[in-house]
Amino acid sequence: MSRNNSTVQNATVDSKFRPRSQSATFLQVLLAGAVAVALAVTGCTKKRFDENDNSLNLVLRANVKGLDPASANDLYSSTVINQMYEGLLAYNYLKRPFTLQPALAEAMPEISKDGLTYTFKIKKGVKFHDNAAFPDGKGREVTAQDFVYSWKRLADPRNTSEGFWIFDGKIKGLNEWATAVKNEKANYDTPVEGLQTPDSHTLVVKLTGVYHQLAYVLAMPFASVVAREAVDKYGKEFLNNPVGTGPFVLEKPSDWVRNSKITLKKNPTYRPDTYPSEGMPGDAEKGLLADAGKQLPLVDKLVFSEIVEDQPRWQNGLKGNFDWVEIPKDNFDNAVSKEDRSKIVPDLAAKGLSLDITPALDVTYIGFNMVDPVLGKNKLLRQAMSKAFDSKTYIEKFLNGRGIAAQGPVPPGIDSYDEAFKNPNVAFSLEEAKALLAKAGFPEGKGLPEFQYEGLADSTARQGAEFFVQAMASIGVKVKINSNTWPQFQEKIKAQKAQIFGIAWGADYPDAQNFLQLFYSKNKTPGPNDTSFNSPEFDKAYEASLKLPPGAERTKLYQKMRDIVADETPWIFNAHRLGYKLVHGWVGNFKWTEVANDYPKYIRIDAKKRAELGNKL
Amino acid sequence: MSSASSNMTSNLNAVAAATAKTPSQAPVRNSLWWDAFRRFKKNKIGVVSFWVIISYVIIAILAATGLIFPDAQVPNQAEAYSSISWAHPFGTDIFGRDILGRAVHGIVTAISIGLLASTLSLVIGLVLGAIAGYFGGKVDAFVVWLYTTVDSIPYILLIPSLTFVLGRGLINVFIAVGLTSWVTTARLVRGEFFKHKSREYVMAAHAIGAGDGRKIFGHILPNVAHLAFVQFGLGFVSAIKIEVILSYLGLGVDPSQPSWGLMIDDAKNELARPYWGNLAAATVFMFGLILSFNLFNDALREALDPKMKNK
Repeated sequence: MSRNNSTVQNATVDSKFRPRSQSATFLQVLLAGAVAVALAVTGCTKKRFDENDNSLNLVLRANVKGLDPASANDLYSSTVINQMYEGLLAYNYLKRPFTLQPALAEAMPEISKDGLTYTFKIKKGVKFHDNAAFPDGKGREVTAQDFVYSWKRLADPRNTSEGFWIFDGKIKGLNEWATAVKNEKANYDTPVEGLQTPDSHTLVVKLTGVYHQLAYVLAMPFASVVAREAVDKYGKEFLNNPVGTGPFVLEKPSDWVRNSKITLKKNPTYRPDTYPSEGMPGDAEKGLLADAGKQLPLVDKLVFSEIVEDQPRWQNGLKGNFDWVEIPKDNFDNAVSKEDRSKIVPDLAAKGLSLDITPALDVTYIGFNMVDPVLGKNKLLRQAMSKAFDSKTYIEKFLNGRGIAAQGPVPPGIDSYDEAFKNPNVAFSLEEAKALLAKAGFPEGKGLPEFQYEGLADSTARQGAEFFVQAMASIGVKVKINSNTWPQFQEKIKAQKAQIFGIAWGADYPDAQNFLQLFYSKNKTPGPNDTSFNSPEFDKAYEASLKLPPGAERTKLYQKMRDIVADETPWIFNAHRLGYKLVHGWVGNFKWTEVANDYPKYIRIDAKKRAELGNKL
Repeated sequence: MSSASSNMTSNLNAVAAATAKTPSQAPVRNSLWWDAFRRFKKNKIGVVSFWVIISYVIIAILAATGLIFPDAQVPNQAEAYSSISWAHPFGTDIFGRDILGRAVHGIVTAISIGLLASTLSLVIGLVLGAIAGYFGGKVDAFVVWLYTTVDSIPYILLIPSLTFVLGRGLINVFIAVGLTSWVTTARLVRGEFFKHKSREYVMAAHAIGAGDGRKIFGHILPNVAHLAFVQFGLGFVSAIKIEVILSYLGLGVDPSQPSWGLMIDDAKNELARPYWGNLAAATVFMFGLILSFNLFNDALREALDPKMKNK
């Protein structure tokens, strides 16, 4: 009996205090948040800039996963990897449209007449970073065999590399080698027919078929050269012990504080590599050629900070702790003039900041599931929904006008983009949308089921979904929103269970093929064609375009494919985004590039000017 | 039979008097409930809170039936982010919708979640607590095991995982909250049943042949009902808060439904602009409802507490 009584008393006490402790928790969270923000804002005023310190301080908006080129599948990891590793080819820093140039290759490859054999001469005297993995700690010279080894690493099924798609089925004998490795019948010393090294500095690549995108994928960080000794020495820890040939070096693993900061030093044994002496018209006037012919890199130290939250990243950027910073959507009006969206606000301009606007080479879209019995079979319905979606208002609301209404999949800056092309199904018109809907057999949405829209759960994605639902409601089409985590969202799309979904695609390399492959029927989901679009006419044009070198004929095919998808409307084309950055006055040679991540070696920091301007911020 | 037992117990124990069931005693007006009502009436803060809650309910009914703010969900892109005016006392949101109207419609969501979730959790808590306390033994061990298990998982993790399984939406939120917040009620009711089951009035009922069901629901339950009232009120408040938190985290109601949590989520981004209408409206409305509910609960608990009877 007494035991029972005590239970009751405890319970009563508990019930009295419980609601109060809950509200206290909520308040505490709010307070803790306020304190954290206050600390982030005030903490940075302590920093003083040194007149002799020309280090480049950059910020990443997501955490770096690891520093192995074989797993460089996100922008943030590959940005850091690109500073320490190099491949055969790279993009010219100043030329637009993006142009490839040799990096570790001595010259652009010799290509056989049938387009199946590429011969690379490799630069002599290029050394790996000094590292304990080598005898006496001195980096050895890079040979053609190192590329064979590095590319086999991508194919090796034990590495489960996200980068193997760049060679998958393209290089003679590589897939067979991978299968043999899986069955323990081959190792890294087993030769592959398509990767030959007639001498120590010549690499011959034999392809299974024409692959015009080979040169582009060789400029991706996946194809970088790694040192076999380091992989052998560090094993799984190779992810944290990068040994490459790049302009910067991670001196010791502790220079990378996980989820916080990566400090890289100038590589003392870096190969001769000079700042380009030719640019585009206007580059010289902007001072972009002042360092022509100088040895790279131009800074001694490179620091990447990892800050996920918008506001601390922005505040630190304004304080000069980062040499440039992207403008978050909600701080846009504090940074960019309301009268002229291409101008910075005067008080920031007075502090020496300038505004850089560069297209992001991407496309955001709302995809329809083309195997859905209602949406997939009804082109007029899809066109009606597309015409009811006002992408101009969307761009104004969600991107602060920082975008171009997409007319097709290919963004400006990439071959086959045509400014004059206007997709009739993108032009917003409620009357025409209603007429199309009636023509499709669903006047005012009568007879249509309620559709399900799949999106992400964060605030901006949710608001975007609400915008879509409102647009559809204006012609009588009912849509319900499902919010997902990123993995849930991916899973639904891969299983063809997503009916309508909002998503984006960013360029891997500057070729329209990278966007048009999203409609090729053999790439259907779980491949990159996530709407499972299937058009024999499109496939025919796509397959023909793969066999063509860059040129007018291929551009014509690309535009034909664009016209097919514009008419079929498997996507509601939404926006090509523009990147807005604020750049501090002490940064020289800044020319933003979306596809290449090797820009830090070209940047000049005026330490004296930073000490002068930065200490006033 | 029931009146016989009540008469007996009222002599034995005033707390246990379930006189509400006996109309013959109504004119005497000295029952537990009547006492409680008199004590409650003296508590001015409690009475004011009660009327505030009633006006919230009336506003919610008017909004739900479309008599006030019928256009709260209709977007008007041209008027997005307009500032304070007589037409829009809190301004408009990203889609040009009147924020005051959205906040008023948020009451409907909040009150329906509070009502449904706390009813569900009260029913589960009462039934499980009653059978555990009454039967004891293995039944008790099982119920105690069950609520200890549920209680050992922090609700902020348990409810989101349930909404992941059930999906989003008003109904699913109320099921998730209801299924997870019955533990305190069950524990309290179980303790009271332990205490009451060996009291004389129960024994008397047993002696004249009342079955288990009759003893549980006819005799003991009315004597622990005051606990249920207080628990219901507490559950109501916490259900409203949980709905707001879940919607803020993107796990709550369907985004096309107005909710204070969604408004605060909107405000998270807008404060940098700075637009504070969403934050102000949602917090003012939430503050009013939760404060008056908490004060009302306090007053109710004091009124129902037999120890306060002679004060």
